Amino acid sequence: MKTFNKIVLSALMCLTVNLAVGQSQTARIVNAAHTFLATLDQPQRQRVLFAYDDEQQRVRWSNFPTGFVHRAGLSLGELSAAQRSAALALVSSALSSRGFQKVQEIMDGDEALKIKENGNQMFGKDLFFISILGTPSEKDPWMLQFGGHHLALNITIAGDRGILTPSLTAAQPAVYTWNGKTVRPLGQENDKAFALLNALDEGQKKQAILSYRVADLVLGPGQDGKTIQPEGLKVSAMNDQQRAMLLDLISEWAGIVDDSAASARMAELKADLPSTWFAWSGPTAQEPGHYGISYYRIQGPHLVIEYAPQRMGGDPSMHIHTIYRDPTNDYGRGITKK
Amino acid sequence: MKTGIITAVALVFAARPASAHRLDEYLQATLFSIEKDRVRADIRLTPGVAVLPYVLKTIDTNGDGIIAASEQRAYVGHVMQDLSLNVDGERVPLQLISSQFPSMQEMKDGLGEIQISLTANLPLGGSHRTLVFENHHESPIAAYLVNCLAPADPDIRVSAQNRNYLQSRYQLDYIQAGGSGSSFSSMLAGEWFALAAVLILGIRLAWLAMPHLLNRRTSGSAA
Repeated sequence: MKTFNKIVLSALMCLTVNLAVGQSQTARIVNAAHTFLATLDQPQRQRVLFAYDDEQQRVRWSNFPTGFVHRAGLSLGELSAAQRSAALALVSSALSSRGFQKVQEIMDGDEALKIKENGNQMFGKDLFFISILGTPSEKDPWMLQFGGHHLALNITIAGDRGILTPSLTAAQPAVYTWNGKTVRPLGQENDKAFALLNALDEGQKKQAILSYRVADLVLGPGQDGKTIQPEGLKVSAMNDQQRAMLLDLISEWAGIVDDSAASARMAELKADLPSTWFAWSGPTAQEPGHYGISYYRIQGPHLVIEYAPQRMGGDPSMHIHTIYRDPTNDYGRGITKK
Repeated sequence: MKTGIITAVALVFAARPASAHRLDEYLQATLFSIEKDRVRADIRLTPGVAVLPYVLKTIDTNGDGIIAASEQRAYVGHVMQDLSLNVDGERVPLQLISSQFPSMQEMKDGLGEIQISLTANLPLGGSHRTLVFENHHESPIAAYLVNCLAPADPDIRVSAQNRNYLQSRYQLDYIQAGGSGSSFSSMLAGEWFALAAVLILGIRLAWLAMPHLLNRRTSGSAA
């Protein structure tokens, strides 16, 4: 009898494992959403859920602290430990491990900023908000939003597609110490860009480097649906190694979503490479002991990435804003049009 | 005047945490959109909190802490005086479409954005056009951005964009299919048609001249 029980238990475990393995990525995200929603009481559910076509909520994101630009939904600070854990599990389910790590580092950075500014209540990990537009579904489109100061993730899930655009990642301080370790949330975005620039020959650099200062993001928050005239070096003039380096740089944004969605997105952007542009403004070298203070933009038919150090009375290398867009498919509009 | 600005900036720095919001610059971002017969400029003006007291002196002229409609109109006029637009070397007047001002509190927080939309009718011109835009508004504290939307009209193609380092001067060169109702494809079709016509005419003339040339060669040989 004992042997029989063991066989049944083993079979059930195998079945569970197989179900988990066989579960689609979308199903995992939907399950995580339902698990999170199940931890909430009715008033909380009302606050976190929005209609899928709620345009006001869709565009309610910013680089600014939540005290300046109000976010709707539920903040982590007003959730219990179990609810907070479920909320972060939902965010994590829609992201790659690298993407979720970046998100956590941006949030830790805001906590570090709060400590640095003597507990300024404008900052901190409690002030990141979660919201859901539509009903979590494996078939019908819905949206997960998560963000606060220096972070805005707008993730549209439509069947097996996961769309991360438009999203904003930023960091202040761009370098900090957390639990004894040096953390640079956007360090790869800086280092890979400088590596790519230095891999260009003089003729290519001449085309890539803009002769003027770019003080801020051109297509930052509030600039949805716009496509500016591209400038800089056309990727069709890059060699295979340079193209690989550019794709690797792009993956710092495109790879934030879960691996399955990221893989599809990277394939799309790779196919677009001949029509993609790389532009640079600012110093071509980093000062010793400092990180870069240069602006760059990567623009293609389905892509806008901008990286903009912020000069706000301090060291621009310590305060970075970036934006990631698909002008043809921001908020999944390109694939969810009826 | 510059000393006054620096003093104001220093005072505000001392009073506020130096993070999160634009501080010591006046961001002025202009986005052009080009059509065949007109151009539109959407300008976003965001004064940093450190330079706001200085900027506000020009906006809230009576200093009552409220930006009245008349003060808004006056300020927009003031901004427009600092702008210039030339098309193919000819000064083109900018006309106001709309303007929008944020609340005083938003401006004090460094996220207040003044939005001004302008338009200009373009004079008749050739297919290669040059637009030059200059912005000298509050230049000592300004951080300018100027860009052009990718033209929605397939008959308009941007050929070059040039700016000075600060982006206070912007030159846009573009090619526009000539005349109304024409397009690049019809332009190209027209050029091909003209080329084909010349070729046909040449062949026809050669054909007509052939007997005459042959006769001359024959008679020459006979001689």
